[in-house]
Amino acid sequence: MPFKLLAQLAWRNLGRHRRRNGMLLAAIAVAVAGVVLLNTMLRGMEGEVREVVLDNLTGHVKVLRSGYLADPGIRHGFELPADWQAGLDAEALRGWAARLRVPTVVMSERETRGAQLVGVDPAREGISFIGRASVVGEPLAGAQDRRLLMGRALAEQLRTAVGRRVVLVTQAADGRAREVGYRVAGVYESDFAGLEKVFVFTGAAALQETLGTTFVTEVSVRLSDAADERQQGALADTLGAAFAGLDVLGWQQLEPQAAVIVEMADFGVFIYFAVVMGALVFGLVNAMATAVMERVREMGMLRALGMRPAAVVAQVMVECSLVMALGVALGLGLALAVFAPFADGIDLGAFDLDKSLAQMGMRANFVPLMTAADVVLVAVLSVALGAVASLYPAVRAVRVPPLAALTGGRFGAAGQRRKAARTDDAAANSAVDD
Amino acid sequence: MPSPIPMTAVQAPRTPPPRRAALAVAALALLSVPCHAEVDARALLEGALDLTRGLSSHMRMTMTIHRPDWERRITIEAWTRGREDALIRFTAPPKDAGTATLKKGERMWTFTPKLKREILLPASMLSQSWAGSDFSYNDLARTDKYLRHYAFAITDTVVDADGRAVHTLELTPHDDAPVVWGKEVMVLRADHVMLRQTFYDQARLPVKEMRTLAIGELGGRVMPLRMRMADVDDQSRWTEIHYLQADFEAAVDDAMFTTFALRGGR
Repeated sequence: MPFKLLAQLAWRNLGRHRRRNGMLLAAIAVAVAGVVLLNTMLRGMEGEVREVVLDNLTGHVKVLRSGYLADPGIRHGFELPADWQAGLDAEALRGWAARLRVPTVVMSERETRGAQLVGVDPAREGISFIGRASVVGEPLAGAQDRRLLMGRALAEQLRTAVGRRVVLVTQAADGRAREVGYRVAGVYESDFAGLEKVFVFTGAAALQETLGTTFVTEVSVRLSDAADERQQGALADTLGAAFAGLDVLGWQQLEPQAAVIVEMADFGVFIYFAVVMGALVFGLVNAMATAVMERVREMGMLRALGMRPAAVVAQVMVECSLVMALGVALGLGLALAVFAPFADGIDLGAFDLDKSLAQMGMRANFVPLMTAADVVLVAVLSVALGAVASLYPAVRAVRVPPLAALTGGRFGAAGQRRKAARTDDAAANSAVDD
Repeated sequence: MPSPIPMTAVQAPRTPPPRRAALAVAALALLSVPCHAEVDARALLEGALDLTRGLSSHMRMTMTIHRPDWERRITIEAWTRGREDALIRFTAPPKDAGTATLKKGERMWTFTPKLKREILLPASMLSQSWAGSDFSYNDLARTDKYLRHYAFAITDTVVDADGRAVHTLELTPHDDAPVVWGKEVMVLRADHVMLRQTFYDQARLPVKEMRTLAIGELGGRVMPLRMRMADVDDQSRWTEIHYLQADFEAAVDDAMFTTFALRGGR
């Protein structure tokens, strides 16, 4: 039986119950749209968390001396070889930065706070949040700058301001404490008060001089946004070769919590799908089973005319898949329509959620993310699920003996069989009469 | 540049003591060659810093910490050696007795009998509140940091009721100095007794102020006996130190400055 005919039959059959099938379509559309939209939120969160972590002075891969994480300080630093960049894949690379990061105590006239003093080369910090942060006052002029860049939240806590002097106490390379007066060059703003409280920046070369060292404590390398795990692995291998004896860690190892959120996002689409579409599929099966039972006589007739059982199964499956495909198309349209106004981001700050969001490592402007791969995945899975779900009504349809179907039972295969047994002769006679 | 000394300082009493005369000469010199005042201010400051310090010393004092809703008084015994080393032990009340702080060079430990172990404190603790008081260790220790990190000048000189000159010394930290204050103003008597010290923030607003409440003779020196450090914005928060006994030429055993001694061993 040609597919075209099957499709035609299926299409016609759908048209016979406009209201019922319309409801079914609507249910499928809403479910598909729901799954797709929920997924854009999850993807948005994933992207957000990843971006924030990469931005947060972590980068994709970081080189540290072993022991630094347990006891951060300049004595766990290392010398930066001049030619280390040799093997880097320039295409996938967004940038790199070598930094000194040491714990410090910041004192103002009125308050004292613990923080991390980070020596940076501002020209290299395009790869981290500080390179793009808005600054009141002046940003650091270069690696030689002896002034300080401080977060707004910390400046508020210390009750200090641009142009004032603060005193930082930190441990120098010789192990002795060093008290240094710093002018506040500028106050930076970040999306997270937490970051503003933790990091104070100064010129890397100036800090090396202050601490009496030629070491750095970390090299952070950031790949382009399109880079995948494979490229990150290749980068880690290259760095491992360049920095023998040092730890080369991916951001997933440095920020395991964020890595879990990102992993969850990959898996989350299946959970949503299983829950929402799982519920929907019962509705679909029910509707198709009803449709099939209504058409028992018709099926019997088609069988009697010589339609193969496989063709009957195919017809029901095509019908079901058609409903599903239409529903998916509608659902995707709906999802796109809902998504479009929020594609640039949802300002969650308006709901006064900034603080709780920041705790989860998210910014106030939440950008949902719709990826083609996810949309295709949902569409394909839905149609496949529709096809699988149609098997049951299709098998029911094909199990009705044509003779029984024609004599008019409408109570399913078992009932048909009982009825058929009782009226075997009569049925046979009438079939002969036809 | 230091401002000229007011005429009252020069015209003062009829029979000036020798020191006073010297000052008058210095002050006159100052009017013509201002840089001489720097020398004088330095001598004044050094004298004040050395007043409560000896090569080795042994002192007993009480410290009263006052807050709006509580007050506590601690009795303290302290030994010092040179300019850097000190052992300070609380002897009363019983709750605090035995708690001790040892400073040796740039390192500082504290010992709490309840924990039975000494803890190495980060050096930043030196400029923070000490034992919950309004003093930092550096406030008490009268270190050389004033001479190293500040530019100082006499801005005013008056004569008190006893005919002694009283100088106002303004100390401005150097630009890169590890000092949080915008400036400090000390009021010093000619005999190096500090009457008042005010700490200003960098907007030139006073933050905290130490006043000398009683002056007397102790250990053969005329020195402030009772000093109160108070928050300028909130006068209900203050800490008072009262020197009870001082010996500036005490024979202090080197064994005092060990963690063994910190634990209370002799």
